[in-house]
Amino acid sequence: MNGRLPRVPTLQKLLQAWPWWLFLLALVGVRLSKGAFLTDAYALLSRPFWPGTAQGEWIQAATRLADQTRLAQLEQDNRRLRGLLDLQRGRGDAITAPVISRETGGWWQQLELGKGQLQGVAAGDPVLGPGGLLGLVQSVTPSTARVRLLTDPGSHVGVWVGRTQRHGLLIGQGTARPVLHFLDKDTGVRPGDVVSTSPASTLLPANVTVGVIQSVNDQAVPAPEAVVQLSAPLDAVDWVQVVPRRAGA
Amino acid sequence: MARLYSQLWCGATGLAVPLLTLASPGLLTVAGVGPSWAVLWLLPWALVDGPRSGAVAGLALGMALDGLQLGGASQIPALALLGWWWGRLGRNGPPVERSFSLGLLAALGSLLLGASLLLQLGLPGSGGWSGEVVLLSGLHTLLAQGLITALLAPLVCSLQLLFWRQQVSLRN
Repeated sequence: MNGRLPRVPTLQKLLQAWPWWLFLLALVGVRLSKGAFLTDAYALLSRPFWPGTAQGEWIQAATRLADQTRLAQLEQDNRRLRGLLDLQRGRGDAITAPVISRETGGWWQQLELGKGQLQGVAAGDPVLGPGGLLGLVQSVTPSTARVRLLTDPGSHVGVWVGRTQRHGLLIGQGTARPVLHFLDKDTGVRPGDVVSTSPASTLLPANVTVGVIQSVNDQAVPAPEAVVQLSAPLDAVDWVQVVPRRAGA
Repeated sequence: MARLYSQLWCGATGLAVPLLTLASPGLLTVAGVGPSWAVLWLLPWALVDGPRSGAVAGLALGMALDGLQLGGASQIPALALLGWWWGRLGRNGPPVERSFSLGLLAALGSLLLGASLLLQLGLPGSGGWSGEVVLLSGLHTLLAQGLITALLAPLVCSLQLLFWRQQVSLRN
């Protein structure tokens, strides 16, 4: 032991090592920010290898397949349960018919279909189009059928608001938007609610979309009313489906 | 004097009315409402062939058109009355030839026909239309149909008038 103390580095040497100080400072920064810089840098560098649209499409396709399978199972269940309850069957035996004449803006709102009694169409049969219910068959000839549209002032159809579980009577006004007359005073419906046929209906196919509530008049007497925008495009429909009522008998 | 109704093929042209009503060409509409084809056919026919033939033609057209509609109201009374009125105009007054006169008569005819339908549909127990529907939809249809019928009349009725008069003069 020569009794000499280790030499304290001079200030000049400390200053010469500035890159190391900077590196240390950066590490402290990473620590304090919980690695934000590193993860951001990693995200930037690895972006080309992220899961692309192909993977997204695979997942969407798988989801669609699962939904379709589930829908088919539910429909099968629904048919079985409705059969047990002796309610109307689904649209399995619907008759597809062309629209050969259309009057949606005159004194009467009606369609003429190119299929009639010979093909099994009968008065009172519901008529569906892309989007939902269009109306009911009013009269038939051997080869044609006349349909009273939901917009005709003479049309009165019982419908159902699923969200609030309220029944109502849909009455045509001669315009594109029929009015839904409720039976109860306290309806709780609001614009945007979907109107459909009743799930327990024996005259119409169950749960068929009719339209969407556009506005509600709570002050109407004796019960509230709502204006309904029909979901089926009456002016543009070229082919319809007639659901024979005896299918549910 | 030769009469149009004695020529079968002339009367057969009336079949065009129900066919055009069924076809309801989308181009010939005002606010979605087409013209009254019955008025456009009946006006020149009655002007040339007289009140009795006009009334009978109106009756026949009304029966055909009533069979094509949903029901609740009939076009027969108004069309028969119009046929008789226009027939008297053609026989008693100066010849109706000018476009404005034809347009005016067609507009009046369409309005009268529409008013008779509106009256019947608004009656309780008939069409069952509420007052609101009569005001909203009925008046709209009435005015739009009157307008498009009046606009088409100078073109369609003038040609028909010429043709029917030619047929009558040829037979004489």
